[in-house]
Amino acid sequence: MISIQHLAKQFAAPAAKTRGLAGVSLKRRTPARFVQAVKDVSFDAPDGHITGLLGPNGAGKTTTLRMLAGLITPDAGRMAVDGIDVASRPREALARMGVLSDARGLYPRLTARENIVYFGRLQGMNADAANARAQSLAHMLEMTALLDRRTEGFSQGERMKTALARALVHDPANIILDEPTNGLDVLATRALRESLRWLRTPAGGSKCIVFSTHIMQEVERLCDSVVVVSHGRTVATGTVPSLLAQTGERDFEEAFVKLAFAEEIQAHDATPELMR
Amino acid sequence: MKPMQAVLTVFRKEISDALRDRRTLLTVLVSSVLLGPLVLVAISALVASLEARAEARQVVVAGIEHAPSLKNWFERQTYTVKAAPADYEKRLRNAQLTDPVVVVPADFEAALQRGESPTVELVSDSANQRSQAGAGPIARLLGGFSRERATLNLALRGISLELLEPMQVEDRDLASTQTRATQITGMLPYFVMMAVLYGALNAALDTTAGERERGSLEPLLMNPSERWVLVVGKWGAVASVGMLIAVLSCLSFLPGQWVLRSDTLAAMFQYGPREAALFLVVLLPFAAAVSALLMAVAIRCKSFKEAQASSTVVMLAASLLPLINVFSLGGDSPWHLWVPALAQNVLMTRVLKGESFDAAQVLVPLGVCVVLASVCVWFVARTLRSAAVR
Repeated sequence: MISIQHLAKQFAAPAAKTRGLAGVSLKRRTPARFVQAVKDVSFDAPDGHITGLLGPNGAGKTTTLRMLAGLITPDAGRMAVDGIDVASRPREALARMGVLSDARGLYPRLTARENIVYFGRLQGMNADAANARAQSLAHMLEMTALLDRRTEGFSQGERMKTALARALVHDPANIILDEPTNGLDVLATRALRESLRWLRTPAGGSKCIVFSTHIMQEVERLCDSVVVVSHGRTVATGTVPSLLAQTGERDFEEAFVKLAFAEEIQAHDATPELMR
Repeated sequence: MKPMQAVLTVFRKEISDALRDRRTLLTVLVSSVLLGPLVLVAISALVASLEARAEARQVVVAGIEHAPSLKNWFERQTYTVKAAPADYEKRLRNAQLTDPVVVVPADFEAALQRGESPTVELVSDSANQRSQAGAGPIARLLGGFSRERATLNLALRGISLELLEPMQVEDRDLASTQTRATQITGMLPYFVMMAVLYGALNAALDTTAGERERGSLEPLLMNPSERWVLVVGKWGAVASVGMLIAVLSCLSFLPGQWVLRSDTLAAMFQYGPREAALFLVVLLPFAAAVSALLMAVAIRCKSFKEAQASSTVVMLAASLLPLINVFSLGGDSPWHLWVPALAQNVLMTRVLKGESFDAAQVLVPLGVCVVLASVCVWFVARTLRSAAVR
């Protein structure tokens, strides 16, 4: 179970350099500007439930998930994983999470199995347990044939499967996936969806799955509930039918545009005809 | 999980990762570890050929038929006289002829009889180093002939020989055999240190900037291990690779000694197991410190390529500092021992010279290495998180 409340984070954007001849600054140095990546994101993701974090590019999804994984310290807000506060007990929280982040680099000179077992060992598993787990994850993700090959030269899909297995090696109760279908073909996407559905069931462990995406179909097909994030804020929360009802649309894409880009649509409508 | 166990996990993974990078390892082994012994063999071949010529006692003369008295002098000095080829100038220029040529004018004997001091040319080419090296002994040989003639002439007129030499000069060389050898083998510590640097370089970059470039640092930090645990494990692996290269290159000079072609050089070049062990005492802390330094430089870089450019500064400093000692700029100073790379070179040169050094002289560079390594490891651990997300 993951609970995030009123999360906020701003970054100092590199100031544009205005250099004159010979590197002598002509203007006075512009003060560092700040970019508010996340303004106010809140959601609850229960166990045995797939929660989709839907938002356009640059909405703050990746920053939110990185804060959840303890890579970035938030400016404000609270995050708890199974009741463990991420800010004060980050290591305990990380032990209860499996994170497939935006960066999913593998070690090319190690085999897929070694990549997975390495992370298992770092999670505190012994060698045998990590190995057995790698085997069973490979079975679930249909990558048994890949297991003892070096990951150099793996295809996108093969890489993704390995990275996912690596994130799940310690059998975490909470699974966080940042745009997992990026660069995957139809078959690989389907296989991933099947795996996630199974992990949600009691047989699969009733995992709490949080999954960020900008693709509508993913959300429609997979998610039990949707959190729409736009401009660093949570703008809507609910199931797909309830969001459709809320916006009075029949097409989910239309509903999403209405929810995520409400400000732009209003501004557009307010502009007099002549100025367009 | 206990921190030590995690350090060991990271260490094991990084070591096997580095050892699987066969091509890089092979390049380092061939270029750094074998280079030293190869240079040693080349030097020994050169020295051997110089010695062979000294033993040959041969003088090349053009027009010896004009100077029977000179020929007689050469032969009394047990030199064999060889007639110069007709095109000796050309041969000297393109280094086909490696002996300087004495040119005797046609009227030499008659002019000598008349006391007109005829001119004898000693032809060598300063671009032809071996003819240049041979010119000195031949010039002394010719000088001996002049002196003998002068002595005989004056003695005939009843002048005492002591008057001719109011002062006597005698050489006394303070250098021991080993000290003399370091003139030739002085580059050896330098080669060993370069081997260590290049050995550690790749692993240091791969575990830091390489990890960022691959995008594997971010997932790595999502494990519940402390950052310093990860960094110490990585540093241990990089330092081990550097130390492995250090051991290999120190040992590589042991068989190098057997193939020395010059007996004198072999006698002068005292490098046995004891010297190898002392080299390692000096080198191992250096390998550990320089690994940490390279990692600290590389962790700030987003890609392997960028890190290679940045680490050039470290490599350059480490290769230039020892030169202060190699060229003995300003002699030995106490501060030399406080500068990494330079201190190691100073100590290793002392080992080769057969000079002893006390514990304090080893402890200063060791302390410097420990401080450098700790600061760098701390810095990498501190930078790791911000490096992962940027």
